Amino acid sequence: MTMLQSAGIALLQTAIILGVSPFVVGLIRKVKARLQCRRGANLLQPYSDLAKLFKRGVVVSTTTSWIFTATPYVLFASTLAASVLVPIFLSRVPLSFAGDVITIVSLLTVGTFFLMLAGLDAGSAFGGMGSSREAIVFSLTEPAMMLSIFAVGLTAGSTNMSTIVHNTALLQGIVTDPPPHLMALAALFIVALAETGRVPVDNPATHLELTMIHEAMVLEYSGRYLALVEWASAMKLLLILTLLSNIFAPWGIAIAAHPAALAVGLGVWLIKISGLAVLVGVIESMFAKLRLFRVTDLLGVAFILSLLALVFFYILRGTP
Amino acid sequence: MTGITPAMVPADLGSQLVNLCSMMLLVTSFAIVAQRRLSACVDLFAVQSVFLAVTAALVAFLTGIHHIYVAAGLTILIKAVIIPLILKRVIERLNVQREVAFVINIPPSLLICGALVILAFSVTEPVASIGFLLTKDSLAIALAIVLIGFFTMIARKKAVTQVVGFLMVENGLFLGAAAAAYGMPLIVELGVFFDVLVAGLIIGIYTHRLQDAFDSVDVSKLTGLKE
Repeated sequence: MTMLQSAGIALLQTAIILGVSPFVVGLIRKVKARLQCRRGANLLQPYSDLAKLFKRGVVVSTTTSWIFTATPYVLFASTLAASVLVPIFLSRVPLSFAGDVITIVSLLTVGTFFLMLAGLDAGSAFGGMGSSREAIVFSLTEPAMMLSIFAVGLTAGSTNMSTIVHNTALLQGIVTDPPPHLMALAALFIVALAETGRVPVDNPATHLELTMIHEAMVLEYSGRYLALVEWASAMKLLLILTLLSNIFAPWGIAIAAHPAALAVGLGVWLIKISGLAVLVGVIESMFAKLRLFRVTDLLGVAFILSLLALVFFYILRGTP
Repeated sequence: MTGITPAMVPADLGSQLVNLCSMMLLVTSFAIVAQRRLSACVDLFAVQSVFLAVTAALVAFLTGIHHIYVAAGLTILIKAVIIPLILKRVIERLNVQREVAFVINIPPSLLICGALVILAFSVTEPVASIGFLLTKDSLAIALAIVLIGFFTMIARKKAVTQVVGFLMVENGLFLGAAAAAYGMPLIVELGVFFDVLVAGLIIGIYTHRLQDAFDSVDVSKLTGLKE
């Protein structure tokens, strides 16, 4: 790859994450609406929502500090930075030298950390409640997420995201290494639902005191700040779905930077992401939201599964 | 299935598929431990039995030992259909409170079960490493399921969950038999299935009596005397 090509691919990848993420949110909403026998909003509705919010003015509480105004930008920038490191349609990301799995997870963590601070900053009752709930969920999902990615990383022999995806893509066969992969996949799927604030953990569609976690934190935001926060959370959802599909089923992804392979990789990625989005929509319709203190049970399952995935790797490899 | 012979399946893929299926058994065991509703526990047990039957059928197919197919069929019939039906009727008829009662709560239960799995693997490791069977990894998983079943019987209070624990132990034993010896002789297996069925029936009746006497199926109440 020449310098110019790399830069082009990095830019293209960022543009795709930015452009496709509202569509995924729209698709999940559409699936939910259909399952509830409603017609639902247009698939492109999230785009017009964002456009509307960007045009609106901003109201900021007088009691807030700089954290409140900085958070949308920090959140948006850190999520965007993480998206540069995640392989999407090409298995080796041009900027992969800049960071591995730990960097990706920490970048996402920085955004969430600032969001929690911003929730506390305005001093409203809901914001603080949302932040404290997010802190509970976050501290439980993080170890499960790291362990499950590490379990796959061990199979691939690296913690670099590109190497993991590249090596997994090169392996032939239906299931490469069933027990560790399967358990890690189950764990990461639960984590994905919790991290992105989907139904068993959080309900993205309501503003009820009992259910909201993410919404409670961003309640004070308006105008372009709200647009940035919403867009960043859509990007995070897309990123985590991409991780899920590309770590565990990277088949079809472009291994080298040929235009044709890239086009196929992009198409396959879109199909996989749409499939996962539909699955998330179906799960959201099938299950009720868990009570907050039951969330620990679900995340406990995710943690144990990811821990066992690691243990199985050593045990099954330990006996040649 | 027609047209595919065991020779066409690479040995590696075969053992991977058996591993995958026995893994699903273990995952469902964890799901049972993490479950709060009684009826969902019974459903998950039925799902586990289906996975067990698939594993047994795979072993039968890959080794060409045909009587395991019979055992797989009986597993589906008895453990995935009849016993769950009996248990569900017990739950419905007795108006049992639908929540599972715990001696040990879910998160610590999960951690203990994780430790049990690691224990099972370290115990069977010397056997598995000298083994040549295609199911050798399943032996450890089978032991893990047996231990988790025992744990469920200890850590849950209600009779129904204890039955599910007992049946999980049975599933683990069956998997262990398939893994260690490519299945028991058919006559032994028939005997075991008959035992399990009768045990299911007796425990169903016993649960009725328990409900009559104590207005509850919490077995810890059995320690108190009552007229």
